[in-house]
Amino acid sequence: MEKFQLKMKVNGRTVTVAVEPGLRLLDVLRDVLHLTGTKEGCGEGECGACSVILDGELVDSCLVLAPQAHGKEVVTIEGISREGELDALQRAFLTAGAVQCGYCTPGMILAAKALLSRNPNPGRQEIARGISGNLCRCTGYAKIVKAVELAAAELQQKEGAAGV
Amino acid sequence: MKKRGYGIGSMWYGIGSTAATNPSGAFVDFLDDGTAIVMSGCADIGQGSTTVLAQIAAETLGVGLEDVVVITADTGMTPDSGPSSASRQTYISGNAVRLAAEKAREQVIAKAAEMLDLDPGEIRLRDGQVWYEEEPAGKTMIEVIAQCRGEGILTLGHGTFNPATTKLDPATGQGVPYATYAFATQIAEVEVDTETGIVEVKKIVAAHDVGAAVNPQNVEGQIEGGCSMGVGYALLEEVVVDGGEIKNPGLSSYLIPTALDMPEVFPMIVEAQEPSGPYGAKGVGEPALVPTAAAIANAVADALGIRLYDLPLTPERIVAAIKAAASSQHE
Amino acid sequence: MSETCVVGKSAPRVDGPAKVSGKSQYGADIDIPGALFLKVLRSKTPHGMVKRIDVAEALKIPGVVRVFTHADVPGENSYGIIVKDQPALTDQVRFRGDALALVAAETEEAAKQALEVIKVEIEELPPLYDVWSAMAEKAQAIHAKGNILTVSRVKKGDAAAALRTAAVVVSRRYTTQRVEHSYIETEAGVAYMDNGILVIKAGTQNPHYDRRDVSRVLGLPMHKVRIIQAATGGGFGGKLDISVQCFLGLAALKLGRPVRMVYDRRESIAATGKRHPFLVEYTSAADREGKLLAVKAKIIGDTGAYASYGPATLNRAAVHATGPYEVPNVDIEALCVYTNNPFSGAMRGFGTPQMAFAAESQMDLLAQELELTPLEIRRRNVLRPGSLTATGQRLDHSVGISATLEAAWEKAGRVMPGLGGEVK
Repeated sequence: MEKFQLKMKVNGRTVTVAVEPGLRLLDVLRDVLHLTGTKEGCGEGECGACSVILDGELVDSCLVLAPQAHGKEVVTIEGISREGELDALQRAFLTAGAVQCGYCTPGMILAAKALLSRNPNPGRQEIARGISGNLCRCTGYAKIVKAVELAAAELQQKEGAAGV
Repeated sequence: MKKRGYGIGSMWYGIGSTAATNPSGAFVDFLDDGTAIVMSGCADIGQGSTTVLAQIAAETLGVGLEDVVVITADTGMTPDSGPSSASRQTYISGNAVRLAAEKAREQVIAKAAEMLDLDPGEIRLRDGQVWYEEEPAGKTMIEVIAQCRGEGILTLGHGTFNPATTKLDPATGQGVPYATYAFATQIAEVEVDTETGIVEVKKIVAAHDVGAAVNPQNVEGQIEGGCSMGVGYALLEEVVVDGGEIKNPGLSSYLIPTALDMPEVFPMIVEAQEPSGPYGAKGVGEPALVPTAAAIANAVADALGIRLYDLPLTPERIVAAIKAAASSQHE
Repeated sequence: MSETCVVGKSAPRVDGPAKVSGKSQYGADIDIPGALFLKVLRSKTPHGMVKRIDVAEALKIPGVVRVFTHADVPGENSYGIIVKDQPALTDQVRFRGDALALVAAETEEAAKQALEVIKVEIEELPPLYDVWSAMAEKAQAIHAKGNILTVSRVKKGDAAAALRTAAVVVSRRYTTQRVEHSYIETEAGVAYMDNGILVIKAGTQNPHYDRRDVSRVLGLPMHKVRIIQAATGGGFGGKLDISVQCFLGLAALKLGRPVRMVYDRRESIAATGKRHPFLVEYTSAADREGKLLAVKAKIIGDTGAYASYGPATLNRAAVHATGPYEVPNVDIEALCVYTNNPFSGAMRGFGTPQMAFAAESQMDLLAQELELTPLEIRRRNVLRPGSLTATGQRLDHSVGISATLEAAWEKAGRVMPGLGGEVK
């Protein structure tokens, strides 16, 4: 089969790779680029463990074929901390105790990030809706919702401070 | 019509394997610079055992949590700590780590007593210092460990713990299956739509006697997660098997609770200290889930005045039960 | 007890930073250059004897390195935490999901193609799908010792006499369903040889047990097998059993090459243990004041094709059948039964969530008969220091059930305004 020349931006860096056109974005990230922070849980877009942000939108990377990501910008869990410093959401997940087995965590953090970029000050119900495509079997979601609230508050405060 | 109901579910749960030996071992190496390495076979599968074991070791050694590293679950390096099952790791492996840390600590205390010419029974280790009668005694732990190591004494400790149980009589089941039990009561509030049969769990209060919470946030996390699994068990989840074949082998057909399915959960930690537990602790992993479906089922019965005897309480079953009750009333 | 410094504090998880940054290495994340992919051919037939497995076509597929069957297992071809009844690769099929052949290939695609062309001849046996037909006298035995695997009994006092004379007796039948653990991470791992030692890295709840059964199945001394737990994405009892470990070990040992395998969700659900479906016939009796006099229960659990943790589940169910109450007369019988269904094993609670559903329903039914509130009937019966359990164990300390009941009730009164005074 003829390979597809996939060019996309991943976590701020442009990458060009030749891949089978039937390959999923998830496989490109994990197997070709070795970004294994993106997890596979179900392979049918139900669990959200493979969530990444594609041109600002949260997607299940198991449902995106490699050519569909061509020319686009992908953010994975590896791309949200800066120079080794954790993102506000990552820190909030630690503070709130929102991590147990951790397998849903990367996707959950990206879902929360996509939510906060649309709605910087979500209520609990909006947070629950924002992460409802991401399954967690350990936490019962309570501390995940709390973590998103914490991060939102911190980001709001920073923005307020920056505005002054 | 929407009907509201409330239900109680209480439970008890024996910590550790039933009427069987289930020991755990641990090693502690108290190092020259006052930091420590703990080796335990205990597998952390998300429940947080590695953090809890680090806390127990740090507490026992009198050092900070950041001074402890726990190496876990590697048969080439760690002793057998048994399964991460039966809600046993905090109680059993926690005790093994505590005992191992005590052995390492005893050597430091003995040397400190000798160096300071004090009664070892009155010496405590805390915050990196040697303490005597609630005052720093003038030596740091690092100085004492250096003295030990200089004299060829390695400050190592090994601990094993096996809960005190007996076998059960095969005919009558009489005996002591567990050394200790966790207890819990959960109360659920539900709203049942009598037209659709859909049950919405509104709130769950979950009070759990864990002996003592080594890490309260972890305990809450276990309780909240258990309630979520319990909501799934009560209302949503069933592996459908027909002719020996699973008909819903995927997460699109086997549904578990999402964030939108979860009620507000109020976790409550009750601490009936267990004298044989590490710092009074028992366990919480499984108890978190055990009474949830029972509480929800009782709440549904309270709401409808009709009881269902088969899990899960699906909309189809609820509508059928309401219809059956109505037609039997007419007769 | 003196005040503690670290214990009792909500310290952040030590493995948290690696998990929030996506750096934790779960079984499927371990990069192992040159590793072969493994795939398992699973039975679609529920019950039968394997007559022949023809792998010739599979071996012709480019990239396929080897296909293993039961004939290639070097040690004892059976494992299990309690009963060694489950073969790594089988010559006798007991459920739709039994492992028949293991393919090792250079690519996952080649391994998958190989599964399509392996020919298996099975002489079918009549399948048994429910516990009643499995327990019937002339039922075909799924395992050599018959289909009733264990019977657990807890007997104290004289339940029959108490039931005859009690003021209130409530008798009901309960059923509970088969449940999937649904950890978000499916089973996965890698294996390789390291200076004569077989190293297996996989998600697991019990690495030291894994070592015992891998060593048994592969005929290796225990010190030549090293199991390292990979970061594990949830377990809930489902990762207490052997899953990928023996496959990984067999292929790495025989081929001398690193290997890896990952179950997809379908395989994870089809091939691993479930929560036991229970059938419970439960009778409780109380006196006029609502004091429990007797509990009699018969519990049947469908453990499916293999024992896994079934005996422990049914035994724990029997021991906990009364709920957290003091009951002077107890007669419990719990049966663990083989069928040709997918196997059931450990799942969070080991039979006690099933029993809590039955026992707590019974408490409310008794309360209704006696015109007591659910709270009051529990207050009158909960275990207290000095109480004797169903197994005759005297509880001396740390008996917090009453404290949880009162704490939950007090809190519920505040957060559930509709609760009013008492639960009806």
